Amino acid sequence: MTPSSSFPGFLREPGGPRILFIGGKGGVGKTTTASALALELARSGRRCLLVSTDPAHSLGDVFGIRLGPRPKRLREGLLAMELDPDEEVGRYLDQVRENMQGLVRPAMYHEIERQLELSRQAPGAVEAATMDRISRLMAQATGPTSRGREWDVLVFDTAPTGHTLRLLALPEIMAAWTEGLLRRRDRSDAWGRALERLSGGRAGERAGEGDELSYIDEVGSELPSDDDRSHRIREVLLERRRSFTRARRLLLDPAMTAFIWVLIPEKLPILESEKAVHTLAEHRVPVVGMVVNRVLPAGELGAFLEARRAQEEAYLARIGESFAQIPRVHVPLLARDVEGVETLERIGRILMGDETTAPPPT
Amino acid sequence: MTPDPDDLRGRLRRAGELLREFYEGRHRGALARSRRDEDDLFMLLVLSETMGIPNPASYYTLELLPLLYDRFHEWHLRMGMEHSPLEGFRCC
Ligand SMILES: Nc1ncnc2c1ncn2[C@@H]1O[C@H](COP(=O)(O)OP(=O)(O)OP(=O)(O)O)[C@@H](O)[C@H]1O
Ligand SMILES: [Mg+2]
Repeated sequence: MTPSSSFPGFLREPGGPRILFIGGKGGVGKTTTASALALELARSGRRCLLVSTDPAHSLGDVFGIRLGPRPKRLREGLLAMELDPDEEVGRYLDQVRENMQGLVRPAMYHEIERQLELSRQAPGAVEAATMDRISRLMAQATGPTSRGREWDVLVFDTAPTGHTLRLLALPEIMAAWTEGLLRRRDRSDAWGRALERLSGGRAGERAGEGDELSYIDEVGSELPSDDDRSHRIREVLLERRRSFTRARRLLLDPAMTAFIWVLIPEKLPILESEKAVHTLAEHRVPVVGMVVNRVLPAGELGAFLEARRAQEEAYLARIGESFAQIPRVHVPLLARDVEGVETLERIGRILMGDETTAPPPT
Repeated sequence: MTPDPDDLRGRLRRAGELLREFYEGRHRGALARSRRDEDDLFMLLVLSETMGIPNPASYYTLELLPLLYDRFHEWHLRMGMEHSPLEGFRCC
């Protein structure tokens, strides 16, 4: 009964995608799917780093283990972590603070410090910090294993739809924004050059090329010149653009990244999924397959659940029509909540089609 | 009395220099102003969120602030704001 192609089997292949995003509406089974899939990949020899990006983490609960922002070994070939955006924001602010030395008069440190502290609560900070961390992990996934990386595949257990869609759109928006600022810098620099030509030489007292850091020796006494500042602003923006563009490139590369959508055969989740998958397609994010979770199991269920099944069949038909192009796999509704490695492994086998018939409900 | 040709040449040269200085000076002023306007706009774009204009990138602008703060005071005066528009930043 499983409408199938090579999904999700191809995820186990050594050359398969290295970055998996598991998305869907709240409560449909993202965490369950991500965990089951990661266990299954680890079992078949693709070492996984399972990462929860949902600010309301539940990944640790599923495994009955306390997780934090640093990878923890759950078993052979499986690491897991829960991102901590506040910690990320803190680290970023520390870095800004460090870069501040030698750029502003020490008398202003205090004021800037206050400004930075306010920024901690600024709208979008948590999201931006999360995206930053995600894109660094993605870059790591594509880098050489020799750099102490103990995993081959990144599996992201994402937050409910809206949050994740915004997150994925971020690199595109940010790249455009950075581009705009760089154009402004170009124009400012062009005026500066014209000014220089008019004066028949270098107008500014630009620090010698190649020793942009020389002023650091003279902290407090000599702050960088306008030209030097301009040069450094450009460097900061270029670096940002590089990292946004890289995240975007990885996100859209089907050889590298696969997006897996989870839904349940009910009205609202289907409607939401139709919209979301459409949005993902617009952003050219490759959705490689869907997990239809909590499908009523085969076998006699009694009059009450048989009535439900009739309704469910209509919804499954709708799913079949709406997502005809996307490979799907069904996971039955289990008698109990999913907790612990054993149940997850069983779901993993069901996902892979290794266990097709669900045992009768207990 | 015939004018001394050397003297005339000297005076013409002198007048030419004055003229050039005058025009270049104005030109230079215009260029410098254009650059400053451009930089002011840049500052506005970077600081927009802190001034109540939603900016999706405000988080990423933080790393630019140290490079801009030095000019911040002059900037907000030029923009016609007597006091610092930044809640957390009191430069005056
Ligand atoms: N096939 C299933 N059969 C029975 N219970 C299930 C099944 N799949 C998931 N559950 C249960 O449903 C609840 C939600 O699942 P899960 O946490 O995986 O969803 P989620 O999409 O990650 O939710 P959230 O949006 O809150 O992160 C959990 O209690 C889980 O144990
Ligand atoms: Mg979850």
